[in-house]
Amino acid sequence: MAQQANVGELLAMLDSPVLGVRDDVTAVFKENLNSDRGPMLVNTLVDYYLETSSQPALHILTTLQEPHDKMDTDVVVLTTGVLVLITMLPMIPQSGKQHLLDFFDIFGRLSSWCLKKPGHVAEVYLVHLHASVYALFHRLYGMYPCNFVSFLRSHYSMKENLETFEEVVKPMMEHVRIHPELVTGSKDHELDPRRWKRLETHDVVIECAKISLDPTEASYEDGYSVSHQISARFPHRSADVTTSPYVDTQNSYGCATSTPHSTSRLMLLNTPGQLPQTLSSPSTRLITEPPQATLWSPSMVCGMTTPPTSPGNVPPDLSHPYSKVFGTTAGGKGTPLGTPATSPPPAPLCHSDDYVHISLPQATATPPRKEERMDSARPCLHRQHHLLNDRGSEEPPGSKGSVTLSDLPGFLGDLASEEDSIEKDKEEAAISRELSEITTAEAEPMVPRGGFDSPFYRESLPGSQRKTHSAASSAQGASVNPEPLHSSLDKLGPDTPKQAFTPIDLPCGGADESPAGDRECQTSLETSILTPSPCKIPPSTRVGFGSGQPPPYDHLFEVALPKTAHHFVIRKTEELLKKAKGSTEEDGVPSTSPMEVLDRLIQQGADAHSKELNKLPLPSKSVDWTHFGGSPPSDEIRTLRDQLLLLHNQLLYERFKRQQHALRNRRLLRKVIKAAALEEHNAAMKDQLKLQEKDIQMWKVSLQKEQARYSQLQEQRDTMVTKLHSQIRQLQHDREEFYNQSQELQTKLEDCRNMIAELRIELKKANNKVCHTELLLSQVSQKLSNSESVQQQMEFLNRQLLVLGEVNELYLEQLQNKHSDTTKEVEMMKAAYRKELEKNRSHVLQQTQRLDTSQKRILELESHLAKKDHLLLEQKKYLEDVKLQARGQLQAAESRYEAQKRITQVFELEILDLYGRLEKDGLLKKLEEEKAEAAEAAEERLDCCNDGCSDSMVGHNEEASGHNGETKTPRPSSTRGSSGSRGGGGSSSSSSELSTPEKPPHQRAGPFSSRWETTTGEPSASIPTTVGSLPSSKSFLGMKARELFRNKSESQCDEDGMTSSLSESLKTELSKDLGVEAKIPLNLDGPHPSPPNPDSVGQLHIMDYNETHHEHS
Amino acid sequence: MTDDSQRNFRSVYYEKVGFRGVEEKKSLEILLKDDRLDTEKLCTFSQRFPLPSMYRALVWKVLLGILPPHHESHAKVMMYRKEQYSDVLHALKVVRFVSDATPQAEVYLRMYQLESGKLPRSPSFPLEPEDEVFLAIAKAMEEMVEDSVDCYWITRRFVNQLNTKYRDSLPQLPKAFEQYLNLEDGRLLTHLKMCSAAPKLPYDLWFKRCFAGCLPESSLQRVWDKVVSGSCKILVFVAVEILLTFKIKVMALSSAEKITKFLENLETGLSSSGWRL
Repeated sequence: MAQQANVGELLAMLDSPVLGVRDDVTAVFKENLNSDRGPMLVNTLVDYYLETSSQPALHILTTLQEPHDKMDTDVVVLTTGVLVLITMLPMIPQSGKQHLLDFFDIFGRLSSWCLKKPGHVAEVYLVHLHASVYALFHRLYGMYPCNFVSFLRSHYSMKENLETFEEVVKPMMEHVRIHPELVTGSKDHELDPRRWKRLETHDVVIECAKISLDPTEASYEDGYSVSHQISARFPHRSADVTTSPYVDTQNSYGCATSTPHSTSRLMLLNTPGQLPQTLSSPSTRLITEPPQATLWSPSMVCGMTTPPTSPGNVPPDLSHPYSKVFGTTAGGKGTPLGTPATSPPPAPLCHSDDYVHISLPQATATPPRKEERMDSARPCLHRQHHLLNDRGSEEPPGSKGSVTLSDLPGFLGDLASEEDSIEKDKEEAAISRELSEITTAEAEPMVPRGGFDSPFYRESLPGSQRKTHSAASSAQGASVNPEPLHSSLDKLGPDTPKQAFTPIDLPCGGADESPAGDRECQTSLETSILTPSPCKIPPSTRVGFGSGQPPPYDHLFEVALPKTAHHFVIRKTEELLKKAKGSTEEDGVPSTSPMEVLDRLIQQGADAHSKELNKLPLPSKSVDWTHFGGSPPSDEIRTLRDQLLLLHNQLLYERFKRQQHALRNRRLLRKVIKAAALEEHNAAMKDQLKLQEKDIQMWKVSLQKEQARYSQLQEQRDTMVTKLHSQIRQLQHDREEFYNQSQELQTKLEDCRNMIAELRIELKKANNKVCHTELLLSQVSQKLSNSESVQQQMEFLNRQLLVLGEVNELYLEQLQNKHSDTTKEVEMMKAAYRKELEKNRSHVLQQTQRLDTSQKRILELESHLAKKDHLLLEQKKYLEDVKLQARGQLQAAESRYEAQKRITQVFELEILDLYGRLEKDGLLKKLEEEKAEAAEAAEERLDCCNDGCSDSMVGHNEEASGHNGETKTPRPSSTRGSSGSRGGGGSSSSSSELSTPEKPPHQRAGPFSSRWETTTGEPSASIPTTVGSLPSSKSFLGMKARELFRNKSESQCDEDGMTSSLSESLKTELSKDLGVEAKIPLNLDGPHPSPPNPDSVGQLHIMDYNETHHEHS
Repeated sequence: MTDDSQRNFRSVYYEKVGFRGVEEKKSLEILLKDDRLDTEKLCTFSQRFPLPSMYRALVWKVLLGILPPHHESHAKVMMYRKEQYSDVLHALKVVRFVSDATPQAEVYLRMYQLESGKLPRSPSFPLEPEDEVFLAIAKAMEEMVEDSVDCYWITRRFVNQLNTKYRDSLPQLPKAFEQYLNLEDGRLLTHLKMCSAAPKLPYDLWFKRCFAGCLPESSLQRVWDKVVSGSCKILVFVAVEILLTFKIKVMALSSAEKITKFLENLETGLSSSGWRL
């Protein structure tokens, strides 16, 4: 205990947060585990882990080593584990695959365990274990056949395992078919997740059940189980008798098992002999139903097989055939494992068992409604269990037969109720009731075929078919047939509706005279049901069965065979069966499944228990236990407890299976309902079809009528058409005749026309002839007249000829006289002519020559003319050119002249301006001063001018090309350079006066000339001055002046007075010309009394003269 | 044919390929070789091509009638012109309108006034607007023509041409300007009108002074080539082009005064922006 406390502390420390402590503790644990071989520590660890789910604990557990992990040899635990594994496997097909080898390993070990029995394991436990291993085998083989087979191959090829294989595995293998996957699949394919995705858990379970040949495990969906039943049971029996091919197929494992249900059914249907029976049997079975419906089955339509009945109601019902089978096999062959308590039961008893179970359902099935029957059947069956249990000690085989594996839930429920709860049983009963209600409720709406829609019917139909088939085959080989028939009947079970049994019942009823056993059994069954007291009746039934064993075949033979063969067959089969049973007992091993063994064990235990309870007082129980197991009573309780546990496990496992089946049932039911709905729909469609067919009939009739009318009308039309045709033909004929006639007439007409044409031609010819003759006639007459006139002329000419001849003679005479003078004259004339001709010719020649010359001359002249014209043109051009050139130059010159004019104007303006200013300064003062100075200045000036002025004048003349008036301009301008000193020095002003251009002196000349003349006394001199003072030739003034003066010069200026007048006129003109200047000279008259220098005047005169000369020249 | 032989034989191809004016100088020389200068041809030539600067003065003189078409008389006529020039100048100096310090352009103006008889009584009299025009043109011309005689004559004749030949067409130019501007860029015109700057544009500067003082010399020469050769419409196009060139700036300016001011002071902007005709 100290150690345990220590362990507790250590465990607590295992989860401490300190890493070091944890490591230490784990080290301690591991050490302990290595040293200690007891399971205690491991158990505590497991407990701890389960409580706290501590990771370190798990870690330690997972690293457990050899001695511990193999420690557990407790069968209860192993069995539980295996069952759990089996239950789990279909749920985790995919995720479990990585542990597949472990599973296989488990299987291998457990199977060897079963054989070697390590430790002191009770046989009772081993049976459980064996059963679970068997189930595991089925599950593994069903789910992973390839992998499993390969495992088996590898595992049992070893010599040390060979024994295990022979003893344990091989018998198991006898209970399975060859898995189709072994042929089509592969190891990898099995593990393919896609394979499992399609399947639900119950699908997997059913899949596994399908390959099982064990009636307890197998699925009934496709009838394998039946054939298996047959084959499992009867090969030895029928081995000798197999004459019919059908039996062969039934016998041979492979064939019978592998042939699918549908094919077998097909075969059955194809055999002609059966047809009447199959047809008749349903009619007998279901009188109320329409004939159509008897053949119809939803399962056939859907291609489905009936699901096994739901666990609630089925087990008790179906248990009977199975129990019978087990009973026979168990009884006949004995347990392969050598279960201790069982003793080989007698074969006849087994058969009697069969009979009991067949007849029992018959009895139970008597109530018309299913629900009632089921309700009634269940309690009765329960009671029967008790009944069987009660007598179990006395007649173990019988009791064994009645309590089967499929009965287990109920049975276990009973046991469990003893132990802890009766509720379970009630629950199950309630569930089963519920299910049954569901099924019936669903079935009820389809009242007409209700019986067939029920899951039981589906079974019944194939069953019946099989039965009929077997009946047919029994006609061929009588000896074997009863068995299939039986089996089918067995299978049909009590649940199948009563009608389904009628075909069997009827012959049975008919064969009332046949062995009394049959009747006895019936009566006994009735009593067994009617009188539920278990104690009395079982023995009686037993007796009845024992004696009535052969009859079950009889009543079937009577259906198919004549009575003569009957007895012989009975005897034969009896013998053979006995022999077969014996032989199977010797072979023993293969066909007994661990399940059956377990079943038997349980039954036995239950029987013993009940018997002991009945027989013995409770205190002496221990004695009883020793009697059974041979173990001391102290162990007994534990053993029992373990067994109880095992049984509980088994029960749970079975429940699991049942639930899977229920699931499947429901699903299939759904399909059935759908199928029914479709069926109904089909029926409705058929009705519609019928209605439409009727319609079609109606239409057909009317169609026929219409056709008749149509044909009549057709005939009428035909007659009309023929009439019309004949008319047409006649008319055509007429028309042709007319046509011919007309053609004839036309030909005639043609002939006539031709005739006329010919006649006309002839007429024309005749006319022509007449004309011709007329013409000829006229010609002849003309000729005649002509000839006449010719004759006349001839006469006239002749006369003339005569006259001329005479004249000729006369002239000849004259000619001879004048012939000599004429020749000279002619010659002269000729000569003259000739001369004249020559003369003319020469003349002509001359003329032509002249013409030529003149023409040449003309040509020359013309060319000359052209040249001249050309020249003229050129000249003109040139002239133009020159003109242009000259004009250009002229323009330039003109512009220049214009400029000059402008310049002079400007100058004049300037001068006048200056004068104006001078005037402003004060005239009078100046005048006086000037008078005095003027004379001096004049004198001075004269001298100066005589020397240099002439030169300068000439220069100026050259420059300005004959601009007389401007000769003196340069000087005044130069002197006038400083205008500011204008009003200043009188000398300057005087000089300016003197140097003023022509006009002022000229103007002055007029008035002063008189003075000059008076002073100097030289009138002649005055004239040149005036002339010299003429303005420039080109200015307007100058022109005028020159005109005037020229006249005077021509007239030699004889008139002195003219000068004054002239000056006057000039003055006026000037005043007109230059308005501003007009007054100035007048004003200047006063201040310019001094006359211009006579020398200068003379100079001027010379100049002027020269100029005029020059101009004139 | 002889002309052609003298010309570059490639000239035909040049023209075909699109190189215009490669042979301008040569062709102008050929034109000038004619004894009687064909003024019409010279006109078309100068309308089409820019004149080479070495021949510009000669051509202008011929086109403006300063020189006659005959080569023979050139010397003589030129002498006349020269004398006239010196005479007038002398006269002006005499009447003390002009001194050596007087700027050349003013000298030209006075000469022109004298010759046209419009010389005012005093040099101090304020100038007439037309005199201002003359001054501007003379100033521009001064830069183009080296010889003062030539310059005076060309200026005189140029102004004369403006006053006679283009008297009727010049007032129409503003209208034509608006029309062309509308064709080229209506938005600009509307902008100008919006600012009421359209009537205030420097039309005097453009069309009366012919861009004298507004464009750089090289550009002005080309413009005046056309003007001399008888086309005053070139002025309109130049004005439109100026506006288009400075469109962005003009658009940016909002008031009429600013626009006018900007356009009047273009020369600096133009020379800086490298604007060429």
